[in-house]
Amino acid sequence: MSWFNLRAWIVPILLLVCGALVLYPIAFLLTASFNVGDPQLFPPEEWGAGNYLRLFEEPRVIGNTLLVASIATVLAVLFGFIQAWILTRTQIPGRERLETLMELPYYMTPLIGALAWGVLLGPKTGLGNQLWRSMGFTSDFFNIYSPQGIAWVMALFEGTVAFVMISAAMKSMDPSLEESSRVLGAGKLRTALRITLPMVAPGVLSATIFVFAEMLGSFAAAFVLGIPGRFYVVTTAIWESALSWPPAYGHAAAMGLSLFGAMLVTLGLARVIMRHGSYATITGKAFRPRPMDVGLARYPLMGIAWGYILVAVILPLAALTLTSFQQFATVIVSQMKFTLANYETAFAMGSIGPAFANSMTLGVTVATLGVPVMAILAWIIYRSTMPGRVLMEYVVMIPAAVPRLVFGLGLLWAWINIPIPIYGTLWLLGIAYFTVFLPLGLRTIAGVVLQIDKSLEECARVCGASWTYQMRTVTLPLLKPGLIAAWLLIFIASVRELGVSVFLMGPHSKVIAPSIVNSWLSASSELSAAMALLQTVMVFIAVAIMFRVARKVTGASA
Amino acid sequence: MTPSIEVEDLVVRYGAATAVDKVSFAIAPGELVTLLGPSGCGKTTSLRAIAGLENPSSGTIRLNGETVWSGSPKRNIPAEKRGVSMVFQSYAIWPHMTVFENVAYGLRVRKASASDVRDNVARVLDMVQMGQYADRPSSNLSGGQQQRVAVARAIAFSPNVVLFDEPLSNLDARLRAEMRVELRELQRRLDITSLYVTHDQEEALAISDRVIVMNGGRIEQIGSPEDIYNRPVSRFAADFVGSANMIEGHVKTVNPDGTMVFETKSGSLIHTLSGKRDATLLALRSSYVQLRPGEINAVNGTIHRRMFHGDFIQYVIDWPDGQLIVRRPPTELLDEGSAITVSFSPEYCVLL
Repeated sequence: MSWFNLRAWIVPILLLVCGALVLYPIAFLLTASFNVGDPQLFPPEEWGAGNYLRLFEEPRVIGNTLLVASIATVLAVLFGFIQAWILTRTQIPGRERLETLMELPYYMTPLIGALAWGVLLGPKTGLGNQLWRSMGFTSDFFNIYSPQGIAWVMALFEGTVAFVMISAAMKSMDPSLEESSRVLGAGKLRTALRITLPMVAPGVLSATIFVFAEMLGSFAAAFVLGIPGRFYVVTTAIWESALSWPPAYGHAAAMGLSLFGAMLVTLGLARVIMRHGSYATITGKAFRPRPMDVGLARYPLMGIAWGYILVAVILPLAALTLTSFQQFATVIVSQMKFTLANYETAFAMGSIGPAFANSMTLGVTVATLGVPVMAILAWIIYRSTMPGRVLMEYVVMIPAAVPRLVFGLGLLWAWINIPIPIYGTLWLLGIAYFTVFLPLGLRTIAGVVLQIDKSLEECARVCGASWTYQMRTVTLPLLKPGLIAAWLLIFIASVRELGVSVFLMGPHSKVIAPSIVNSWLSASSELSAAMALLQTVMVFIAVAIMFRVARKVTGASA
Repeated sequence: MTPSIEVEDLVVRYGAATAVDKVSFAIAPGELVTLLGPSGCGKTTSLRAIAGLENPSSGTIRLNGETVWSGSPKRNIPAEKRGVSMVFQSYAIWPHMTVFENVAYGLRVRKASASDVRDNVARVLDMVQMGQYADRPSSNLSGGQQQRVAVARAIAFSPNVVLFDEPLSNLDARLRAEMRVELRELQRRLDITSLYVTHDQEEALAISDRVIVMNGGRIEQIGSPEDIYNRPVSRFAADFVGSANMIEGHVKTVNPDGTMVFETKSGSLIHTLSGKRDATLLALRSSYVQLRPGEINAVNGTIHRRMFHGDFIQYVIDWPDGQLIVRRPPTELLDEGSAITVSFSPEYCVLL
């Protein structure tokens, strides 16, 4: 019975530790938002709702946020819908490959996208604008440092998310529903309008709301492309208030919590629509709808599908590459001066070289130490019958609902006020990463835990295996692919983390993403491009390993 | 002789719902007993409670005389210490191991020597005709092969009790019939005490020494297959096992020799052997009705519908008390619409 006692101890300890890690920053955020006295005091001496009331004194920021989020959502859903329709419902050549490639924009991150599009369409110096002016025009082709520019970059990134959600809705539709309409005498158009559209509409609607909520909380693109022109959305305004002097923590916290509230409401709405409106996902079964024969139109359609990949991945990466190898970025061939100096600087510069090393160290450490803990959590929550597991699931999933930047603010404020001197060290970044990636790791491992038939474990017990023997011989080997995937996902997420890092990075604990941003805002775009590419390479190597592992696993079980 | 499995007043509750309600039975060594009932009747829950995979609310479970679970005094031997074996409905073949490793698992847990493991695995794999598959990865076996491996794994470490949780329900009809015979052969040969759960009444009758009919968490009837079929004690048992006609009415007279006369709603009189005095139902198996006049219990009717099933013909017959289902061998072919006399022997009329 010793294992039972061990398990009885593990639950309260994990609940306590993870609960503290998650709830402690949020409690700080709450108290700070009601602090109307000296913003640097904790606990506050004067309480009031003043910070929240101040939000309405600057309607411009709210207006900006809604403007950018709306444009970006419309674009992203449009991209996602077109891609989903082409890739699930038409017979275009190379469909499978395109479907795999559709994951790439997601790994590009909005930060890299924003930098790349800054390089491409920045006013005057942007490569695209240079080309435009060299053709005799006197103004820019397009200024990416604008609300529309920010929305464009965000839409390219979120387009993948919309694609995944909408194509899932299209795939989960039983083709016989359409076939029976045709058999009963309805034509193609009537079937599309009366059967297909109503079936897919809830999926599209919930994707729209989901993307909109994500856009409200997104930070990187507005940061890179908005700050130079002093165009603020909510997230960048939070950053500004918290890190300007004197810091207005209360104001930032009130904005952050309001943003959290707004996102929660929109996401709740999306969930309600998903649950009540969606006929298509009831069975949860994936169908491969019979693709339409589109005749000669398949070539233009294929062009559109590739166009998205080109604009979202290839063009940005090409622009960054071209820029990173030049002394001064230009597209005019006669003026190009190629150099490796940017890469040399990236590695040599006193603070930037260590940033790469730090990010790697953090990625490896957080993933290696975090995954076993997350595996135990996943097993307890989704397999055991222990009391308290439902509460535990709610608690560890909280970081997924709070915008990263807002959570970062809470962590900053919380750990400044704790008498453990880890603020400004990698330790704090490690703890913060672990906290915000809890939901990511848990969800990845839970996906595999839920797939393992319970009787596989029960059978081991009936065969006479103790709990530890069963874990070692049956559960862990079966969980392996999920654990590897979780490790890589957490590594990737750590290496590109920005929202929490901008608050918690200290002079001796620099990490990549914020360093790239700092270099972009203060140094040259050529150097930033080199750093951005290095980060992208790290991420893509990890992604490639993950795909290989995934293929090996699915290949073996098929 | 000490029963191999003994269950006393077993109760399993999930929150407010009672899945198993005061169930008691005992199984003798070497016996094959089936728990039969519709889904949700508590049969699988009872089985899992015996295996140690379900936590009962009260009662006692004894294996070979040893108490492995009891509500008071509190006692709970964990699944791995009970020494029973089990074949799961989903087979539960570990996909990351070879066939050999799957079957060897129980032996290796018990720290058997390498040569013992090798010999025993080879022996049981031969028994289930899977000898040549030992080194195959188990992830690409067919359903029938997985089933055989699951059985081999369950008997490899020579347990004296094996629990079967609907082991054949995922196979197609033909394979199911084949495996049924093989399982029974194996069980007889190795003399393994078996508790077998199924919702398939045909399977239960064919394979068992005794059948326990369950409904709503309670036991309806315990008896040999012939008993259950010929002398059901409740409407549920009569309905669930085999095909039976339920005729409403009441007992009109009890003769001095104990035989009775049952009057149906339409006023027809049916002679029966002994039975319940206050019976309001008469159960009559469809196979026990003759389509020719007899000396006793003969009623006139017309053939409403004829359905040819191959192994038998099912007739729907209009008679004074509604419709009567009759099953006859395929040789007795009669036309729809023809007037006939049906008859049945009093010994097959069961009063409920």
